[in-house]
Amino acid sequence: MAGYVREVSRRIFAQEFRESNLTFKDGDDQYSPQYLLTPTGAKVNRLFIVGTLIEKEDIGTDSEYWRGRVSDPTGSFMIYAGQYQPEAAQFLAECETPAFVAIVGKPSTYTTAEGTVLTSVRPESISLVDGATRDLWVADTAKRTLERIKDLDSMDPNVIKAKEHYGADNTQYSSMVKEALRSLKEDI
Amino acid sequence: MDKTAENIKNRFLELGVEIPIENITERLDKLVTKFKVPVDEARRSVIAYFLKEYNIDRNDFFTGQASTPLVKINEVNEGGKWVNIRGKVVQLWDSTHESVSQVGLIGDDTGTTKFIKWARDDVPDVQEGKNYQFNNVVINEWNGRFEITLNKNTVIEEISEDIDVASTALSSPGDGQPAPMVSVADITEDGKWISLKVRVSQLWDNTHESISQVGLIGDGTGTIKFIKWTSAGLPDIEEEKSYLFNNVVAQEWNDRFEVTLNKNSTIEELDEEVDIGTSSVTFSGVMVDVQSGSGLIKRCPTCNRALTKGACMEHGKVDGVYDLRIKAVLDDGNIAQEALLKRELAEQISDMTLDDAISMAADALDQGVVLDQMKLKLLGKYFIVTGSRMDRYILVDSIEQQAELSPETIDELISEAEVL
Repeated sequence: MAGYVREVSRRIFAQEFRESNLTFKDGDDQYSPQYLLTPTGAKVNRLFIVGTLIEKEDIGTDSEYWRGRVSDPTGSFMIYAGQYQPEAAQFLAECETPAFVAIVGKPSTYTTAEGTVLTSVRPESISLVDGATRDLWVADTAKRTLERIKDLDSMDPNVIKAKEHYGADNTQYSSMVKEALRSLKEDI
Repeated sequence: MDKTAENIKNRFLELGVEIPIENITERLDKLVTKFKVPVDEARRSVIAYFLKEYNIDRNDFFTGQASTPLVKINEVNEGGKWVNIRGKVVQLWDSTHESVSQVGLIGDDTGTTKFIKWARDDVPDVQEGKNYQFNNVVINEWNGRFEITLNKNTVIEEISEDIDVASTALSSPGDGQPAPMVSVADITEDGKWISLKVRVSQLWDNTHESISQVGLIGDGTGTIKFIKWTSAGLPDIEEEKSYLFNNVVAQEWNDRFEVTLNKNSTIEELDEEVDIGTSSVTFSGVMVDVQSGSGLIKRCPTCNRALTKGACMEHGKVDGVYDLRIKAVLDDGNIAQEALLKRELAEQISDMTLDDAISMAADALDQGVVLDQMKLKLLGKYFIVTGSRMDRYILVDSIEQQAELSPETIDELISEAEVL
């Protein structure tokens, strides 16, 4: 395992995740990890989200295949768990909605016939958490997102690639962060 | 690059093949300029291409070269080149791997350089202090430095001439000049000779007869593994005592650093006490994984190692002793940090005692339920740990769940967002 470094779980709000559509591989190898590059330049192979599981549905035909919708202050994440995510699928089968959940998972993308890229999350683990953890996550994600927005002037190749692809205007994301933070103040 | 191309052309010419220089230059240029291949690698690749093209045996190309030049050691500065060298074996080091039969330093009046002799190549051994002519050795670039590799075509002749070796600026221990004193945290360069003031924190079971002692030493900045070779002939050191290690070598092994004590090293016991790892670290993050090997485990009663499938790596099948531990990954969005929690802390945060865990496992006829229970309890939650750093782990001394978000933190973040 020499040289193996675990992929960090990035913190992305649902709005930014939904608006991401650029995937790339770090190398030509079939085993090279795949990344999703977000508008603020996060290079995502794994992400950590906490939000409210607001819907769940078994959309599988022969075997169970669960779809869930997890919302945060800015929008919602779609999550999909089937036979290859047995623990997550079992969790979704048994849990009640709505519920605060914490998810560690991999980003995945699907391109529709019209060419729209849809993003979703394939959970590695899901667990029930409390509202305090959810608030910590919003603040945590706000902080990391602000860091990325500040870094948008840097010469980091991922940042440059993100700006080329999504455009250099990031005002929507700083206001997204502000609104997410303000929503916390209303709760407390 | 033109020179490299010309060299290749000339070498092929000697084998009776004329390759237009443009063909060579073009290939080299494409690799180097367009595909950013290092020159040495490009040269190797170009040669391989033409060897195949003209159906020439590699060995014919690389050996039997009447023209292998005799070079001085300060001319050892072009990777991939075949040379002859006259030099004295200044030092033989302890080989760290069975595939290396001998490794050390050779020198002449212009300098010294490292050499490696591989076990597979069946070349006779050299002796420290003797002089030799090495024919057909290869210069290699390794971690930014040049060294000499012996191979199966190498011929070593002992010579009667006594070669004067230049005392060079290379980091070898000179007479009476101890290597520079550093802290454990500053050990970042492979192959560097250093001196350390440390305390022995652990002595481990010895795994090989060529090793006299192995364990963990540390100072205020951290801890590091050390190996004392039997051939070093040094006195034994004791746990919890502090020592001055002079002229030890920092080595990188599997991405980690360790220090080795060899026969040029000395050990002096210190009167002062060196404190280890007073610099404890704090890390806040989400527990994103509880790794396998966590939960209810069994340890070897003799050496305390965790058992795998009921067997100890060292002592074979043994009656293990139950223990509880957590190998966690904490993630703050920028770093994924591994953390080790021993029994008391594992019991505290997962809200079960070792006895609970044992009976839980007995009921389910499966140790795995304990790990599942821990995951359920811990994953996705924010923690703060403090502890000391060891390799890639934090050995945790205390762990707490993060406090609820305060209105002040929110205000700070909002004002940060507003200035953007």
